[in-house]
Amino acid sequence: MKNTLLFLKIAFSLAIFSFVSCGDDEGEMTAVIEDPPPVSTVVLDPNQPPSQKLSDYKFFKGELKNQEPAYSVIPYEPISALFSDYALKKRFVWMPNGQKATYINASEILNFPIGTALIKNFYYNNVQPNNTTFILETRVMIKKEEGWIFAEYIWNDEQTEAFLNQTGDGVFKEITWIQNGTPITLNYNMPAESQCFTCHKLDNNKVLLGLEPKSLNFDYTYEDGTQNQLQKLIDFGYLEDNLPGTIETMVDWEDTSQPLEIRVRSYIDMNCASCHIEGGQAGYRGIRLAYGDTTNPENFGICEDPDTPIPVLFDKKIIEPGNAEESILYYRMSVSQEQYRMPQQGRQIAHEQALRMIAEWINSLPGTCD
Amino acid sequence: MKTKLLLIALTLSCNLSMGQQVSFTIQTINTQNDGDDRGLVDMNGDFLDDIVSIGRQNIQIFYQQTDGALSEINIPTTFADYPASWSMAAGDFDGNGYNDLLYGGGSGVTFMKANNTGTGYTEISGSEFVFSQRSNFIDINNDGNLDAFVCHDVEPNVFYINDGSGNLLYNQGSLGDYPTGGNYGSVWVDFDNDRDMDLFIAKCGGEAPRRDNEMHINNGDGTFTEVAAVMNLEDDMQTWSSAWADYDNDGDLDIWIGASTTADGFHRLMRNNGDGTFTDVIEDSGLTLFTDTDIENATHDFNNDGFADIITAGKILYGNGDLTFNIIPGAPFGSAFGDVNNDGFIDAFGAGTLLINNANSNNWLKINTIGTQSNLNGIGARIEISSALGNQMRDIRSGEGFRYMSSLNAHFGLAQDTTIDTVTVYWPSGVIDVLNDVDVNQTLTIIEGATLGLDDNTVKNLILYPNPAVDVLNLSDISQFESPFYSIFDMSGKRVMNGSLDNQRLNISQLAEGVYILRVADRHTRKAQKFSKKR
Repeated sequence: MKNTLLFLKIAFSLAIFSFVSCGDDEGEMTAVIEDPPPVSTVVLDPNQPPSQKLSDYKFFKGELKNQEPAYSVIPYEPISALFSDYALKKRFVWMPNGQKATYINASEILNFPIGTALIKNFYYNNVQPNNTTFILETRVMIKKEEGWIFAEYIWNDEQTEAFLNQTGDGVFKEITWIQNGTPITLNYNMPAESQCFTCHKLDNNKVLLGLEPKSLNFDYTYEDGTQNQLQKLIDFGYLEDNLPGTIETMVDWEDTSQPLEIRVRSYIDMNCASCHIEGGQAGYRGIRLAYGDTTNPENFGICEDPDTPIPVLFDKKIIEPGNAEESILYYRMSVSQEQYRMPQQGRQIAHEQALRMIAEWINSLPGTCD
Repeated sequence: MKTKLLLIALTLSCNLSMGQQVSFTIQTINTQNDGDDRGLVDMNGDFLDDIVSIGRQNIQIFYQQTDGALSEINIPTTFADYPASWSMAAGDFDGNGYNDLLYGGGSGVTFMKANNTGTGYTEISGSEFVFSQRSNFIDINNDGNLDAFVCHDVEPNVFYINDGSGNLLYNQGSLGDYPTGGNYGSVWVDFDNDRDMDLFIAKCGGEAPRRDNEMHINNGDGTFTEVAAVMNLEDDMQTWSSAWADYDNDGDLDIWIGASTTADGFHRLMRNNGDGTFTDVIEDSGLTLFTDTDIENATHDFNNDGFADIITAGKILYGNGDLTFNIIPGAPFGSAFGDVNNDGFIDAFGAGTLLINNANSNNWLKINTIGTQSNLNGIGARIEISSALGNQMRDIRSGEGFRYMSSLNAHFGLAQDTTIDTVTVYWPSGVIDVLNDVDVNQTLTIIEGATLGLDDNTVKNLILYPNPAVDVLNLSDISQFESPFYSIFDMSGKRVMNGSLDNQRLNISQLAEGVYILRVADRHTRKAQKFSKKR
């Protein structure tokens, strides 16, 4: 037992060494081992309103724009990500000292303790004119006694600070970056508070997205090595150690070694199911697009009439087997007009790579309707 | 004998209604790629419905010419902060004779204000986040200036009050305040015949209270009270729009409320009981088999039989005048409605396609409204007509159905009636105009107050001399006006001249001999005076 503790102490101190990039001889290391375990420097009182500046929380060490998490701020990512106009994202979770989340089941969001913060930076690389990295926004969700709140931080042009959006109205910012060799210009939308709630909503409560075990149960490469994300949270003390032996997990939709249908269902879950779920914003529509629901063709809209026919595909089905071009689901994913596009929020341009997969899948579906 | 007669009558009416379905001829309109094809509404003040397609940086208009030709113009605009994706409304909020536009976008609202020649538009976009749905122009506070209303999908509704100086002041709250919104289809109607416009909101999505339809009655003093529950209209069905017409021609507006999904309740056909309550009469209407759903629900009299029809989901539900309907497919889908060839039959435009009503032998009447005390478009006016087949009514509405902007002209079908006993216009100002013995198959332009004797709402001191005039009208001091513009109407209400009023002399040499009305207006004031022109 003592050995184990000592080992943990060494592991922690090693972590510190690598964080601060200093000290490399045995003597110093020995000295650190005698120190108490590191403590979180994060400043977050869930009883207070959100901070005015992102830096106030001390989520990051060093220069803010380097997005390097401070001790106790743990990065994570979902196995298939939500497409947001090719924006790159870094996601982090932090919990108050001694608090931990609990597991409910594979498809439900982990139950986080009061005071938890989820932090998500949105940025692009190769931003013009100088091919730089530019961070647009940081979305923070904080769990208070009464539930989750949203705090939207907008980065300044100098990239030295992000400030709380006071109006709640959201902001647009034009940005040009190089995507796979092609410049794309976008009027990037930093969301209004009520816009956040259209997706982060279940039964009229504010909820997290993408933090279900089915999304997290895979290996992630941390600074100190590769590890299963759930195990990492358990090891750090952020998650109760009572996971079942097997967790039904989605796949990385880009992993072509996986079956096509599973890739499609994984992508659709992450990109569509926040609304197309019982109790979600589009819960009144017939389709149900969560990973556990799309095993049923009817839930997926296969051979189903849409509630809201659209002019160019009048009388067509949501999914017409073998015919992506005449499938409303494919159409809505491919257009940019905001009255037709899906997802409605967070996307202005089409996700070409995913569309190719969706088309391949629809075109592979056998049979005809009626 | 009585039974036999009744039987014959039934057969006749059945044959008539079946025989009077109209068909449509499809014509492609070369709107620009990705254009939001939104409007079939007059844009340039000649009361002929024009085709309107909106781009992010342009307004493409196909003006209807008096000879029926379409004259295309593409007017560049600044890059609109918000597109006309979710809805468009039209109305002349600065009263300069050219309709302005409202784009209801997913993140906000953009206004495009027409200049005094209709050749250019100035963008006005707010920074407020608005997840727009149906939008309307309407004089909410009845001060004579058009205001605007926009349904908010995810917050309380917003509206823009016109301060009379061309500024639209943003407001949120007091007209549908459910915190997370659920507001889809607003329509302004006078359901209780008290000559002001009440607000009905079709609602959808989320928990039952979020989607309870709302009815905000106009208290006549600029305030509104939500009373849907006592009217039997508080309903947690799922709907995006409603279509209000007097389907049984009994003197009050009934409602078709089209379900967007029938999972939480079927379509409603609500008969106005005339006592402030409504009763669902769909059971006996012939529409219980109508299981299609659509976000668009609108009403017009497509076959001009004098009975209002419903159009939704690519089908026309032809009204029989008694709250029963026949369901006929093959109708326009997702369209604005108006009269694109001025033949008195309602056509449709949407998605780059014109659907021209092939008409039948029925008679009709169209009415254009020009407000003087009320807003220039006469939006919010109630028009009632009586003829042999009964009484009919229309409200002038900017923004019906869900997404599109249909004609601001009132259109009536008159079957085989050849004369209309009375046409009554109840203006938002309270002015009432009455015309007797009106011919069918014509378009009538009614100027507010014109039938009263003009002195009642016009001034005498606008024109100094001479009157009658030959070539030049000399106006009195116009320094009270700020950048005024003038319009001259003939006595049929047709606008014959208009432009900016740069000095106190107006050259009228081009006018034919006759009696005219001169109207001078700026953003604050409107004055009108009758004058005679001589050779």
